[in-house]
Amino acid sequence: MSERLPRARAIRLGWTLAAVAVLCALPFYLDAFWLRIGLFSMAAAVGAVGLGLLSGTAGQLSLGHAFFLAMGAYGYVWLAGEPGPGLPTAVAAVLAVLLAGAAGGIFSPVAGRVRGIYLGVATLALVFLGHHVLLTADSVTGGFNGRSVPPLELGGFSFSTDSELTLLGVPFGAEERLWYLGLALFAVTWFTARGLLHGRPGRALVALRDSETAAAVMGVNVSRYRSAAFVVSSMYAGLAGVMLALSFRRVVPDYFGLVLSVDYLAMIVIGGLGSVAGATAGAVFVTALPLLMTRYADQLPLVAAPGTTDGTVGPTEAARYLYGAAIVLILLFAPDGLHGLVRRLRARLRGRRAAPPPAGTTSPSRPPTSAVRAKEPTP
Amino acid sequence: MTDRTTAPPELAVTDVTVRFAGLTALDAVSFTVTPGSVHALIGPNGAGKSTCFNVLSGLCRPAAGTVRLGDADLTRLAPHRIAALGVARTFQNIVTTQGTVADNLMLGRHALSRSGFAASALRLPQARREQREHLDRAREIAELTGLAQHFDHPVALLSYGDRKRVEFARALCLEPSVLLLDEPVAGMNAAERARTVEVVHTVRAELGLSVVLVEHDMGLVMRLADEVTVLDFGRRIAHGTPDEVRSDPEVLRAYLGTGAEQEDAA
Amino acid sequence: MTSLLDNVFNGLALGAVYALVALGFVIIFKASGVMNFAHGSLLLLGGYLTAVLHDDLGFAGALAVSVLVTAAVAGAMDRFLLQAGGPDPHTAHVQTIVTIGVDILILTDLSRRIGGDLLSLGDPWGDSVSGLGPVTVADSRIAAIVVSAVVIAGVFALFRYTTWGLSLRASAEDVEAAALMGVRLVRVRMLAWCLAGALAALAAVFLAAFPAPGLERTTGQIALKAFPAAILGGMASPPGALAGSLLIGMTEALVAGYQSELHVLGEGFGDVAPYAVMVLVLLVRPTGLFGGKAAVRV
Repeated sequence: MSERLPRARAIRLGWTLAAVAVLCALPFYLDAFWLRIGLFSMAAAVGAVGLGLLSGTAGQLSLGHAFFLAMGAYGYVWLAGEPGPGLPTAVAAVLAVLLAGAAGGIFSPVAGRVRGIYLGVATLALVFLGHHVLLTADSVTGGFNGRSVPPLELGGFSFSTDSELTLLGVPFGAEERLWYLGLALFAVTWFTARGLLHGRPGRALVALRDSETAAAVMGVNVSRYRSAAFVVSSMYAGLAGVMLALSFRRVVPDYFGLVLSVDYLAMIVIGGLGSVAGATAGAVFVTALPLLMTRYADQLPLVAAPGTTDGTVGPTEAARYLYGAAIVLILLFAPDGLHGLVRRLRARLRGRRAAPPPAGTTSPSRPPTSAVRAKEPTP
Repeated sequence: MTDRTTAPPELAVTDVTVRFAGLTALDAVSFTVTPGSVHALIGPNGAGKSTCFNVLSGLCRPAAGTVRLGDADLTRLAPHRIAALGVARTFQNIVTTQGTVADNLMLGRHALSRSGFAASALRLPQARREQREHLDRAREIAELTGLAQHFDHPVALLSYGDRKRVEFARALCLEPSVLLLDEPVAGMNAAERARTVEVVHTVRAELGLSVVLVEHDMGLVMRLADEVTVLDFGRRIAHGTPDEVRSDPEVLRAYLGTGAEQEDAA
Repeated sequence: MTSLLDNVFNGLALGAVYALVALGFVIIFKASGVMNFAHGSLLLLGGYLTAVLHDDLGFAGALAVSVLVTAAVAGAMDRFLLQAGGPDPHTAHVQTIVTIGVDILILTDLSRRIGGDLLSLGDPWGDSVSGLGPVTVADSRIAAIVVSAVVIAGVFALFRYTTWGLSLRASAEDVEAAALMGVRLVRVRMLAWCLAGALAALAAVFLAAFPAPGLERTTGQIALKAFPAAILGGMASPPGALAGSLLIGMTEALVAGYQSELHVLGEGFGDVAPYAVMVLVLLVRPTGLFGGKAAVRV
């Protein structure tokens, strides 16, 4: 809200440009494994930003995010594929995002009325009912085995390995190409979500979370904004679904289960509720950690020990243990998530460098506001 | 948007009755707020003052009776519609939202601005211009209410009195024609009280709005109010200028009462 | 007609077991505002302990140990992980995510131990059946209904007649006021978690008993059915959780029983029908059948 000093602004711009430059250069140096981690992280970040808007900013607990991700993924596959209308892939991608948004809109009678933990479990129903439909509607979804994903084509350029392409001596396969697509879509997400959060709708959503009564008497149309939060969040989920489908190259129903929804919740809380950067950090953490751990777990001392009395711990299990422990430990030591942790570190560094700030401003004492709060303070 | 340069419309409450599960919280209460005046609503605890505010702001639907603002019937409108018609309120307990003072004041501009999800997400020029304009006005109101130096501070870090003032300023940001103040000085020390009285005087003079006031501090009521309505057990027991009300036997009985009545009221 | 009665009875038995799980889930929510994602893992832990101990201790002994250990694990989880920063209701959402981490830890470990096995819990009912009027029913299901009814009645009595129950209700109403009145929040909460753990361990017995083939590593997922059950009844109400559980159990059994007539809805609709019912109920009553008023007080 404050008008930044030109110098601070320039520094910030410089950092942003540097980050973009590094991200753009990465495909020239990293192999497919790392690029794939990046792709999944970017897709997850887009989805997590959407869920962050809904659960973090607007305070509506949703366990149904996997359903909206599935709407985007399957929507794209069906619209662009055979059987299906076989639309141009770019059109199919846009329509899939709109489809996910429409699905969120259809849910709005529930979203507008049901609150707190009730909403959380009501959205759980979406995941199970959706999964059931994905399994049974073979003709559209391919049933249990799912469907393969048609690669995206933009103006004759295919995001796949169909045509050969070499840039600066580096062969550009599907991962390298999708990397840039992912970056672009993530940039769009970052730009739009921050615009929303810092604009009129964002303030209205925060007000809804903190006190619906106060929001209403300030002129916020409560049920409309509750529904709108769902639609917008679902659209981000739909976009994330399209990105995931393109990265996986195959969609299967079992991926879009409750575990996925729970993962997204973990992302936004681990990252820190209410900020785009936090959701992104959480998404990268939750996505990359299990993949990295599965890959490198066999180098851990405990895992290498063959045949203890209880049987062996395989790399997959070791990764799960570490993942579970990481969630618990991070939240034990940083209840406000990675974003809060960074903010505190930064405040401490700044405090050391400059004169100490006026009393009370170093640590915002107010506890983070809850998405699953039992009741709102009664005015 | 109504033209706020002319005198505000008259707020007329007619025979409003509210029942909660058999209990009559308001029993055919009527009063009229003269445009541009300060109208105090007083009475012992449980007299129905807060319920009355909830009816005025649309949080509570009366079983009977009407609330009119000028030509508009507010009785069955949703709270956000009433806010859009220019009725703003504060709460007895502070209800601010997370973020800075500026964020809170900008929430008060919600009904007066238009940018929706798409315009804000894409940061369209008109959305940015609108935000800038409203931010300027919010800063003016912060100055008017003595919050200017806290404008970019998180509300959570402010003192109690300042947070109460944030609520007040946020209500003003709605550019209301009627401002409902629910115990604006409760819990404040003498200096803060004096400051608040001053601010109420200032905004009334500068913005020309009507103020409806619920307050227990009788000294303050007598100093600020042009007219007073006294409620007891949901019924209007007296009405008039502060001086008239002060000498009304009904009012004296309600406040001093017999022992039994006082117990009930508390 | 017989098949209808069969289905109703099955629904009743299923619902009674769901009620044990849902009740624990609701007690935890009431006491701490936390949605316990580790509930299924606690259930699996209870079942697993009974399964590995019954050879040595006998069924009753194994069950007793398993109930106690699961209760202790649940209590310790609350006390040392969730309440590490104090019983602060403002961080309920963070604590909810911590339960996800704990769930992953317990579930990974138990899955590794159970593998693809089907464990028998050594329950005394085996596959025996009894005639009950016109229908033939599994003894294990009769036991499920009877035991659940007794235990649930006991829990309600705890709520109503003990200091702990009073403290729990008081703190669910208003944490700060309860603390001022001398309620020891940390302990009241921890005991609520213990009780919920014990109920989950007990429920595991019936979920693994005949006609189910035994305890699998996926048995804990059944706890997810308790979510809609709890919600249907209104999260804050134990009698509601009971009624909701019965409704969910009935729905599931009836839809499964009339699968052939309902084939348009797809195979296995019985498993998801409870969710459909829940959404419909919430549309009409946003805080469940027995939930308190949804209105925002001012």
